[in-house]
Amino acid sequence: MSELKSAPAIRLRDLLRLRRGGWSLAFVIGAATLLAVVALLAISGWFITAAAAAGVASMALLGFDYFRPAALIRLCAIVRTVGRYGERLASHHAALGLLKDLRCRLFDALGRRTPGAAQISTATGSAATMHRLVTDIDQLDRFVLSALLPWGWAGLLSLAVMGALAWLDPTLLLAAMPGLLMAWLGLPLLTLWQGSRLARYDAELGEARREALVEPLAAITPLLLWGRWGDVHRRVAEHDRRCLDHQERQRRLASLVGALQQVALGMSIVSVLWWGVSRLSESGLSVALLLAVVMVLLGLGEILAPLAVSFVSLGASLAARDRLNALVADPRGVSASTPAVAGTPSSPLSLELDGISARIPGALNGPEGVSLKLRAGEVLCVRGPSGCGKSTLLQVLAGELAPSAGECRLNDRKLNEWRLNEVIGYLPQQWDLFDMSLAANLRLGNGEASDDMLWQMLDELALGEWVRRLPQGLDTPLGEYGAAVSGGQARRIALARLLLARRPLLLLDEPLVGLDAVCHERVLAAVRRRQGDGPLVVVSHVPLDLPGLRLRELWLSAEGRPVKAGGTRASQR
Amino acid sequence: MTAATDSPTPRQRLARCLAPQRWWLRGALLLALGGAVLLVAQSWLLAALFSRWLLAWQGEAAPTLPAPWWLAALATCLVLRPLLHAGREALSRRASRNARAALRLELLERLGQLGPLRRRFGSDGALGAQVLEQVDALDGYVSRYQVQSRLAVLVPLLLGVAIALHSRLAAALMLMTAPLVPLFMVLVGRAAAGASRRQLDTQARLGGHFLDLVRGMGTLQRLGAAAQASRRIAAASEAYRERTMGVLRLAFLSSAVLEFFSALAIALVALYLGLGLLGVLPWAKGEVPVSYPSALFILLLAPEFYAPLRQLGADYHARAEAEGAMRELAPLLESRPWRPADRVALADTAAPPRLACRNLAVAGDAGRRRLAPLDLDLAPGERLLVQGESGSGKSSLLEALLGFAPYEGSLAVDGHELAELEREAWQRRLGYLGQQPPVLRGSVADNLRLSAPEAGDSELVAVLDQVELWPLLAARQGLATLLGERGRGLSGGQLQRLALAQLLLREAPLWLFDEATAHLDLDAARRLNGLIERLSRGRSVILVSHEADGLEWVDRRLVLGTAALRQERRKEEWREEMREEMPSCQS
Repeated sequence: MSELKSAPAIRLRDLLRLRRGGWSLAFVIGAATLLAVVALLAISGWFITAAAAAGVASMALLGFDYFRPAALIRLCAIVRTVGRYGERLASHHAALGLLKDLRCRLFDALGRRTPGAAQISTATGSAATMHRLVTDIDQLDRFVLSALLPWGWAGLLSLAVMGALAWLDPTLLLAAMPGLLMAWLGLPLLTLWQGSRLARYDAELGEARREALVEPLAAITPLLLWGRWGDVHRRVAEHDRRCLDHQERQRRLASLVGALQQVALGMSIVSVLWWGVSRLSESGLSVALLLAVVMVLLGLGEILAPLAVSFVSLGASLAARDRLNALVADPRGVSASTPAVAGTPSSPLSLELDGISARIPGALNGPEGVSLKLRAGEVLCVRGPSGCGKSTLLQVLAGELAPSAGECRLNDRKLNEWRLNEVIGYLPQQWDLFDMSLAANLRLGNGEASDDMLWQMLDELALGEWVRRLPQGLDTPLGEYGAAVSGGQARRIALARLLLARRPLLLLDEPLVGLDAVCHERVLAAVRRRQGDGPLVVVSHVPLDLPGLRLRELWLSAEGRPVKAGGTRASQR
Repeated sequence: MTAATDSPTPRQRLARCLAPQRWWLRGALLLALGGAVLLVAQSWLLAALFSRWLLAWQGEAAPTLPAPWWLAALATCLVLRPLLHAGREALSRRASRNARAALRLELLERLGQLGPLRRRFGSDGALGAQVLEQVDALDGYVSRYQVQSRLAVLVPLLLGVAIALHSRLAAALMLMTAPLVPLFMVLVGRAAAGASRRQLDTQARLGGHFLDLVRGMGTLQRLGAAAQASRRIAAASEAYRERTMGVLRLAFLSSAVLEFFSALAIALVALYLGLGLLGVLPWAKGEVPVSYPSALFILLLAPEFYAPLRQLGADYHARAEAEGAMRELAPLLESRPWRPADRVALADTAAPPRLACRNLAVAGDAGRRRLAPLDLDLAPGERLLVQGESGSGKSSLLEALLGFAPYEGSLAVDGHELAELEREAWQRRLGYLGQQPPVLRGSVADNLRLSAPEAGDSELVAVLDQVELWPLLAARQGLATLLGERGRGLSGGQLQRLALAQLLLREAPLWLFDEATAHLDLDAARRLNGLIERLSRGRSVILVSHEADGLEWVDRRLVLGTAALRQERRKEEWREEMREEMPSCQS
């Protein structure tokens, strides 16, 4: 499988690089906090032991300086408290920034694909896949937050402790080393591979379980009538068991590794004690320092513990990264076409179809051998029974579907040799209104359009009256999926948006559905006025009717063959 | 008098859910307490060892070098403690797993009893999330919070007693601050919980906004507005970040308070003990209030005093999460599914039943009526179209007929009251098709055998032929043609025809259709209605539909009204009406 390999949209190192400053700050504050945690314990232990050794009597004699340790202890307590707070704020600030970067980056990556590709992936990937997109992005910061940073801190602290031990007495380091290395590196690394592999299947198993439940749930009534709900019940229970088993395996691993880490640290404490005592008389090691070492090792337990569970986060973010990269990758392996001869055709535009045949993957029918020439100012109405391939033909004209045979020419040059996105205005059957205000939706067509321009456009499409009656007018939110408006209104809003974009060649799929006859004429007139003399292609199941329209009709049979092309005007009702 | 109306609070519900798991949880608590006892022993051993060594080092006692028994005992403590902790976790996980599996089982059974009535509790997606995610949301509460909330009280008490034996003042110092911790947690935690809920809301909204734009990527590209949308996403994310940081600044205060007390306790104890050992305490100059072994013992216990509370603080959200989940699940758990009394067994017969409804009504919530009293007779073999605006009770009528909804008045099947019938026997005589065809991922044959597990291949081909699907399927892989999720691979109309084939395999004499053509385009709907006409001859049919197009063949039409606007028309009358309506429908 040697596909043309473009760089994946997200790499793990990007997660770090995108917010390097924020993560560094979080790391430094976190490291200072943890140092303070350990130092607080060590100095406290050393202090009371040294104080006991100095004793009341010798106090005056030796001039035991208790101010400095006392100040250090207070300082450590403050650094620890403030540091913990600051570290959490800093790391979340960075994580939220990363979230923003990732969203924009993924969105841009999705936007670079051909428009058709986006549709294909929404057709093959279900709504659930799209929904996982959001949760997957949220998973990615776990790589830094709960895998990378804890490992960084654990490494820094472990090295610091080992350095301190070597400075005190190198043989003491040797005594502590086996247990310490085991707890810091050996055990967590051993589980990292196995554990992250386990964690990668989490989402898959969860998805299978959801599917086992949600799909039959939609058909529960017939299944109950047929006495088959029991089977569904058993299957869901089986999937659930699999999910929970999988979860249990991961947690058992994490729990066991965590316990063994603490055991290893405990062993290093015992061996430090055992060896340290024999060194008390020989080297400069004091009892107070030995106790400080023990306190440090006890404190290290808390710092090394997150490593035992880090594999869960690592596996989850790896899986999320892979899914996102797969989602963003263009299924056809084509990135947005950059034409060989970039340029925009000048008006007057003429469109020529030469024996076009095309088929949407998996469809039974599509247009077969369609040829015609459409000159500037002419209107083509494509008609025929449903499923004959009218919409498919429009998709070919829009340059979003490659024809299986034939050629499509604009001003005597092949369609894909032009920079099409400034020429063609395409309103497919499936379009979207977004969860934004009406004005923001319209301005997607033209970001610079003034309010006056918007009102004028709305009036031309017979929407102005309705919008003026809305309490919030242009600022009315349209709701997710444009749920707050009726079908006919939504279609006209989408049309208005397209007209605002001022494209000379318009391809409209059923723009008149849901409108009455009076509306038909107004809308059609507005389209022609706005478009000037560019060619207009309309797919419609009702005849177009407007005085003075240079109308041509293309009839397709049920099999997609042109049956009657020509300049006959549609019979009027 | 136990009022049936007062429903348990989420917390009571949680407690009830956990009751069967109490032994696992008690075991976990016991192991955790064992760990705390070991901690005391371990600290005592360390303190004793070091004080002995200190004396030896100062030359005040004979240098008794490593006491192997002491070290062995210490090693035992250091090894056993983590293992006990792992044991505690294993038992808690077991409890959580059992509790979740039991709750999920209960919910699935409830759904099975509700049947079509489940819609009153949410969409299928939402119900799926309840059965899966909301049940899993109990995990943190069961496996961590439950035991930890007890430990957070018991361990500080245990350590307090152990410390008090050595120094009343140190113990008092710690025990005095201890109640402040929960107090602060409640104060800050409550504000933080509200704030974090709002933050989750905005996070969901932001996610929805992003998804909305991603879904419409094709539209954006065609408009050349992808860059504009990208800037919107950046701006929205940035605004969200600003808001969230404001929330977090407050939310993290609660953990900062715990951190503060924990650090303060260690620092105060260390200073008090150290200065005490030096004899420079202002109120006790020249004397040692706490001896060295005791001081070290206290210092070793000090960080552990607040550790359970800190852990509880970290798990605090688990309780809120679990209670929230229980609140979501409450409607489904409180639902009281109705079923007929199973007193009369109907014979299995292929003869269409005679239905007689007298004052049939279906009650809804809060005294509302889903179906206003209705008289209706359906002769054997009669085909009836039921229409009416949404909310007029069309679906409720079908739900009552299906034997899922409790009704008032009388609904007699061949002279037997439906409420007295054996439900399964009655349901065997029914065929039902709603908007969603009962098609699951799998082959065409698998799907047909959902309704008739014993049917042979030739029977399957025969019914597929009847619904005009066989030519299409034969061109693919025949009966083995695979269908994806929600029947992907066939169009909506083809899927509904497959569902008709499923019905044909059952030989049920009464067919009920609930908006079976609602999602189909005009052509597909006409075709399906034509098929229903041909295949339902000789059966009784009740067909609920918004559209009357292609349904001119029914014997009668019943229009349900929300008000008293209910009319029943004879065939000829409403055909006349239809013809008048036609032109305006078409344009």
